[in-house]
Amino acid sequence: STSGVLSTNKDKSAASKDSTPEGAPKRQEDGAETPKQQLLDIIGTMKVEVSYRKKLQQLKASEKKKKQAMNKLEGQESEGSVPQGVTEDTQRGKPLNPELVKAASAVASSLPRNKKQTESELLAQLRRHEETTDKQKKGETINICNVISEMAVKRQSRAQRGARISGRMSLQLDEDGQRIRPERSSAQSDSRSLKVGKRLNIFTKASTEPEHALKTVSSPTIWDLEFAKEVAAVTAQPPRNGFEEMIQWTKEGILWEFPIDNEVGMEDDAEFHEHIFLEKHLEGFPKEGPIRHFMELVICGLSKNPYLSVKQKVEHIEWFQKYFEEKKELLEEI
Amino acid sequence: MAAAALSWALRAARQVLPSPCPGQVRSYYVNWRMVRDVKRRKVAYEHADERLRINAIRKNSILPKELQEAADKEIAALPRDSCPVRIRNRCVLTSRPRGVKRRWRLSRIVFRHFADHAQMSGVQRAMW
Repeated sequence: STSGVLSTNKDKSAASKDSTPEGAPKRQEDGAETPKQQLLDIIGTMKVEVSYRKKLQQLKASEKKKKQAMNKLEGQESEGSVPQGVTEDTQRGKPLNPELVKAASAVASSLPRNKKQTESELLAQLRRHEETTDKQKKGETINICNVISEMAVKRQSRAQRGARISGRMSLQLDEDGQRIRPERSSAQSDSRSLKVGKRLNIFTKASTEPEHALKTVSSPTIWDLEFAKEVAAVTAQPPRNGFEEMIQWTKEGILWEFPIDNEVGMEDDAEFHEHIFLEKHLEGFPKEGPIRHFMELVICGLSKNPYLSVKQKVEHIEWFQKYFEEKKELLEEI
Repeated sequence: MAAAALSWALRAARQVLPSPCPGQVRSYYVNWRMVRDVKRRKVAYEHADERLRINAIRKNSILPKELQEAADKEIAALPRDSCPVRIRNRCVLTSRPRGVKRRWRLSRIVFRHFADHAQMSGVQRAMW
């Protein structure tokens, strides 16, 4: 939590640094309150709401920081520089940016814990950050030897290996048909879990979102679908009670969904006026005569038909139009 | 290797679970009469709209008679199987042409067989 606060602090100080060239003329103009001062005031007035869990975390964090500070002190001693007291303000390699110091003090004042202690810890962290950036600038990279020396190859016992393979092969089934989980308690207690331990910071978090989007669109191969179907078929346990049976039936389509929707399956996008007022399709026909009379009857019948879609009705009318055009010579003889 | 083991396990599991719907698998039509009936249904479906429209011209008292005679000739020119009158509602399982109940599309004998084995949903022996 305090490291998060620190990072935001750094961002704000960076922002303030950006605003200082603009703030300088402002300072000249205003004189009373710079935006930086305002920022610092805001940070000072911010009250961190602390719950019990946060308190614990803060305790742990402060302990860690103490340890790190102590280690740092010892390290500094071994290097030969003069160890300072708790208030390590200046004269450690490079002097800290006074703005950062001010920001750190403001943050420390906003936190509910021991203010001087937090301030000193924050400053120590800041200093450490500066040192690492200096190192990187000089060209000293992370020593891979140090990293790998910490890692060790774990030896598996034969029994564990056998248990793992047998666990994969046998999907033992009970009388119910439920799967027995192969006993993994021994294997788990022996092996170390993956998430414990210090982060090695070898890999950087690549942005995975655009890749994911592309992947889902371009490659649902047939094999993937088949595999998905197989998995679904196997993991589908027979229903334990009537409710699950009804759920299964609804998914398959055997059972309707309640409350019953009368228009399931019907996708008529057309409005009622398109069904009823079909006279606009009658423009190709002569305005008088038996054909017109006939077509008006046809339209009357179609408008009363609820089972056809608008498209089908229009197709009927167009067919009649074509038919009567073909028979024009015959009609003219009459 | 792991994928093969997994698929083997899946197949083994599937064999153990019984399939929920035991029934015959029919891959042929029962007899040639059924095949012909199926053909007639398909052709009738294709020409249904045309027949409807031409009949609308024919069964008319408004249009001139010459037009109606022309329509008569046209409808006679359509294939013979396109008329719906030639379709016979046969039993779906045995192709029996008579004694077929429309709701179940089954002949009376098959219907009775399934109903007695409690495989017809909602059908019960009448007793009153």
